[in-house]
Amino acid sequence: MNRLISEIAVILRQAENIIPSLFGRYPFPPEPLTVLANQHPEVPSKQPFSLKDLIGDGFLFAVPVFRRTLEVRKTRKIGIPYRGGPEGLKTLQKKPYIKVCNACGHYHERDCLCPNCYAKIKDETNEIKEKIIKELKLDPVDKEVVVLYDGEKAQQSPEFWNGKRIVEMEKARPQWFSKNLMQKSTQPNAETKELDISSTIVGKPSNIG
Amino acid sequence: MNQAEVTKLMSQLKIALKPRHRNLKTPLGPEGRLDKLRQTVTALIKYERIELFYNRADEARGYTERLVSDALRYGDTHKPMMEMADYWLLEKQLVHKLFKVLCPRFENENGSVTKMFNAPRVYPADPKRAYFKRVVLELKGNPYPTITPDSSYRNKNLIHNVLLDAAMKDFYAEKERQQQLLEQEQTLNSVEESKK
Repeated sequence: MNRLISEIAVILRQAENIIPSLFGRYPFPPEPLTVLANQHPEVPSKQPFSLKDLIGDGFLFAVPVFRRTLEVRKTRKIGIPYRGGPEGLKTLQKKPYIKVCNACGHYHERDCLCPNCYAKIKDETNEIKEKIIKELKLDPVDKEVVVLYDGEKAQQSPEFWNGKRIVEMEKARPQWFSKNLMQKSTQPNAETKELDISSTIVGKPSNIG
Repeated sequence: MNQAEVTKLMSQLKIALKPRHRNLKTPLGPEGRLDKLRQTVTALIKYERIELFYNRADEARGYTERLVSDALRYGDTHKPMMEMADYWLLEKQLVHKLFKVLCPRFENENGSVTKMFNAPRVYPADPKRAYFKRVVLELKGNPYPTITPDSSYRNKNLIHNVLLDAAMKDFYAEKERQQQLLEQEQTLNSVEESKK
């Protein structure tokens, strides 16, 4: 009995495989028929589209393909608020932290040094620095540096300068780099009646612009 | 020479330290970072005033303070201290400077031994790049002209401020007197008119 059932099942399975090929589950015709299907009468065919006909020897640039959204357009135009650097706002912003220097009258940022005053100091510092470096060499550094301008060495006795590393600047001391704040800023010029402008200090703010 | 004193028993920083380190570009890793900082500390001890980017300056500042503070505390007869000075100062003639120049200079210093100022911004800055802050780092007591502007105008007890105050008082007293005279004249005139 069991054997009979299994034989019937085998036959049914074979029949399942045959049915789709009969009713068109696999619609491709057998190979000899395909040759017949391609034999159409000749139609005047259109020229295929080619860019060469349009531009010839020239060339094309890339073009935008998709539309930019309003948000993207506005962001590109105005920038992003609360972002620093190149992504930040591109519009002009107020800077409430600009101050006026009390010494020279130039504008500077609140927490920064005044650019005018600092440039002056930086130049002088670099000059002194170069002079000091020239005398440094490879000897051990064991003395404090004393910077002297023209005519300042003669003010003290030679013994006073013993044991000090003296760096002499070959120019007069700048007026703003005062050694002693109590000394007079103007020199008496009683001998010459003409007013020497260079020897007098002009009131603050002097060197604006 | 500079032996340890009782007051210098604790080596302490006199500057405000930030809780986190500053990032430096170091392709060579932690050792490259220390190399950079050693260079900066050496330069600061050598030149006494340098201008550089904030991150490196702020980081090197703490190490310089510590080095000088330790030198003050231990003196030059302390072996670990000398090793530390040898490590941080790349030019060995500066080891002499640390003990013979800087220690005497900062013996009685109560505050920090370095100062840091924000250098002026460069205008116009490149809009396509992020701006990196520059600072001026200096040792106190250097031979260069002072960076901080003269703030004497703020001191009320200075002679020119006292004189200006007195002049201002006189000016307003005179103004008030003139006003009173004017009012008296007006009242007199009005009384005379009413009599007529």
